[in-house]
Amino acid sequence: VTADAAEGALTGLRVLDLSGPLGNYCGKLFAELGADVVLVEPPGGSALRHEPPFVADEPGIERSLGFAYNNTSKRSLRLDLGHPEGQQVLRDLAAGAALVIETDSPGRMAARGLGHEELSRDNPGLVTTSITPFGQTGPYAQYEASDLVCLAMGGLLYLGGYADGPPVQAGQQQAYVAGNLFGAVASLLAVTAAETTGRGQHVDVSVQESVVMGLENAAQFQDLEGRIRRRTGGQQWRAGAGVYPCTDGYVYMLAGGIGGNRFWPNLVAWLAEEGVDRVDELRGEEWGERDFVEAEETKAMFAEIFLPFVRSRTKVGLYRDAQKWRVPLCPVNSPTDILGSAQLRHRNYFVQVPGLGPEAIMPGAPYVLSETPWSLKSRAPHLGEHTEEVLAEVGYTADRVARLREAGVV
Amino acid sequence: MEPLPLSGVRVADFTWVGAGSYTTKMLADHGADVIKIESRAKVDGIRLSAPFKDGIKGVNRSGYFADRNTSKRSITINMKTAEGQALARRIVAASDVVANNFTPGTMAGFGLSYEQVREINSTAVYLAMSMSGDSGPERDFLGYGLTIGALVGIHHLSGLPGQEPAGTGTNYPDHIPNPCHAAFAVLAALRHARRTGRGQYLDVAQTEPTIAVLGAAFLDATVNGRDPQPLGNQHLRHAPHGVYPCAGDDRWIAISVTDDAQWAAARQVLGIADEDCVRDWTGEAARHRDRDALDALLVAATADRIAEELFHRLQAAGVPAGVVQNAADVVSGDPHLQARGHWLRLEHPEMGETLYNAPPFVLTGTPATLTRPAPLLGQHTHEICREVLDLDDAEIARLEAEGVLT
Repeated sequence: VTADAAEGALTGLRVLDLSGPLGNYCGKLFAELGADVVLVEPPGGSALRHEPPFVADEPGIERSLGFAYNNTSKRSLRLDLGHPEGQQVLRDLAAGAALVIETDSPGRMAARGLGHEELSRDNPGLVTTSITPFGQTGPYAQYEASDLVCLAMGGLLYLGGYADGPPVQAGQQQAYVAGNLFGAVASLLAVTAAETTGRGQHVDVSVQESVVMGLENAAQFQDLEGRIRRRTGGQQWRAGAGVYPCTDGYVYMLAGGIGGNRFWPNLVAWLAEEGVDRVDELRGEEWGERDFVEAEETKAMFAEIFLPFVRSRTKVGLYRDAQKWRVPLCPVNSPTDILGSAQLRHRNYFVQVPGLGPEAIMPGAPYVLSETPWSLKSRAPHLGEHTEEVLAEVGYTADRVARLREAGVV
Repeated sequence: MEPLPLSGVRVADFTWVGAGSYTTKMLADHGADVIKIESRAKVDGIRLSAPFKDGIKGVNRSGYFADRNTSKRSITINMKTAEGQALARRIVAASDVVANNFTPGTMAGFGLSYEQVREINSTAVYLAMSMSGDSGPERDFLGYGLTIGALVGIHHLSGLPGQEPAGTGTNYPDHIPNPCHAAFAVLAALRHARRTGRGQYLDVAQTEPTIAVLGAAFLDATVNGRDPQPLGNQHLRHAPHGVYPCAGDDRWIAISVTDDAQWAAARQVLGIADEDCVRDWTGEAARHRDRDALDALLVAATADRIAEELFHRLQAAGVPAGVVQNAADVVSGDPHLQARGHWLRLEHPEMGETLYNAPPFVLTGTPATLTRPAPLLGQHTHEICREVLDLDDAEIARLEAEGVLT
């Protein structure tokens, strides 16, 4: 690592991450583009430390894989914010910070003297980002929620699952993902403004609304055509669009898809070249008409023609051939399939992370920045690993830290 | 009034379809002047995607397009002409960000590869969002929306175990992981450009951000040696945790109990009697062990209840619960979203007053308003020619007559 490469796009920003599942990935995005991110943890450890999956399925505050992934490149300060002296420590840290990320119930920070107004009193450029299930205001602001509840209230849960069954959640806590990601964009917008004008602000991120952003066109279908989109899993959602079984799993094809339907002729040409029976029935203007391709008889007819072909091939072979014919078809990959991807290997996408055993591999850079590369600085910290170091940086003497430790504050 | 965070930033926007357009929308809604450079010959596919105002198809009538292109201006240029490319280069030269989501090589065909752009604008942040990135054996592969969702694992991980994967029901990577990561990278690179005067090249594959939000699954695979499977509606730690039927057609409630107090409260609201609790379900481990039995109890207890009423009663008792809202609920039935002003109605020249999402966050010091509805195809061609390209009316007329401006 050269000195140049160590200079990230966000170098010079101090971020205090007080969050858990709703904000730790947001903090990670800042950390790995160069910000100095301090994870401020309660005495029992950050919430994600208690969430499975764990190493070898044994719970332990240094064993959570979700914690290990979402907190790389940060330092950890263990601090009791229920204690008045702990609150003063946080105010002292905030005086030198650009951003605080917090995910407590609305009003709880302010009740401890740690709201945005108090934290920014000596630091008018501070941005405080609050990421909460329903945001800071409105009738549901104090309601309790999990990832599942946010998915439900944001409307995405209704669209997931099978046509003939109950709604089924998106995997791996995507409501929290949405809150983290929109929280990161909002935070950096506010930091941009603060660096330009010198004025920070409080940023109010709603996870429910972040989920709503993922409804695709469902809200507009309701508004413009008065139609409620429903879930379509387990069946084609249009003839030529959906999941199809092959010899070793499934593929997803979007040939009878959106837009000008420009891939349909490619699919027909491919199937003709493969000598698929009845391929001529797939020709004709009607295959570009929404009512036609959404009709049950059309879907059934397409399945009769396409299934014998697709069922005789592997997902890797179908992917390769479809790309040759410029047909949007991809394998339905599991994490193990993805770990074996030649494309991702070529791009050095996966990285090893120390401290979790020799096999531990995780996703690396989500983007490539030519001048200020993404950089994994360190494994996720142990609880309180950097307490002394961080406090020394804000001018606390060893004696003072020792007294705080004795009082159980740090 | 405070300037918006990106006021003064100009974006030469060659993106189209899904993730690219959503990325530049976020920049536009927060003050950037986003100039969408469009082709009349090869129209942005989302302009031709349902739903349409009154169900009537038209390049200026798609609600899908409209919601993804707020606050932008549109110019139509024939990029197959040398003069058209020269005009585009002048817009690029006057921009802070240059964005595209074509397959690699397309921009070079316009004379707008990063190397070419850097020569005329060394401070530009150049965002490229191809499917698989600009290097590697699959760099020229094609994909969008849910085919990408399948490729990156989210489809496999969403559904019932042992059944065909169900996915999220949407082109999920387009809406959340890709645009948010791309916008974050652009904002970071803009900071670097402000501080150093140096632009840079951003290669945001439309696969890698979604894989990055599934990080724990990859550690579970490599550390614990198993291939993570979908969970249905279950949780790895807590129970009951699921979706339960309510009275009416396709009405459901989501409930997640995370501790003993919530379990006691949920039982009381749901009327689950002591004798129905055939084992001691104190402690999260006991409840998780018997999660199937708990689900059966809840299904029976919720089936005749009104979802909205039960939601408020459970919340009043401190139990995390929510109505599984459909689009109509979200758009017009949810008083909380109304109170927060999530939905905006903007007057569009062809569609009339239609529905738009406000940003899902409030910057309390620099609140964003969508400055305008989605542009008509080529709506701002003249305006941009005059303001940005400094062309007079005679020159604009000539370029139109010669098919450079379309």
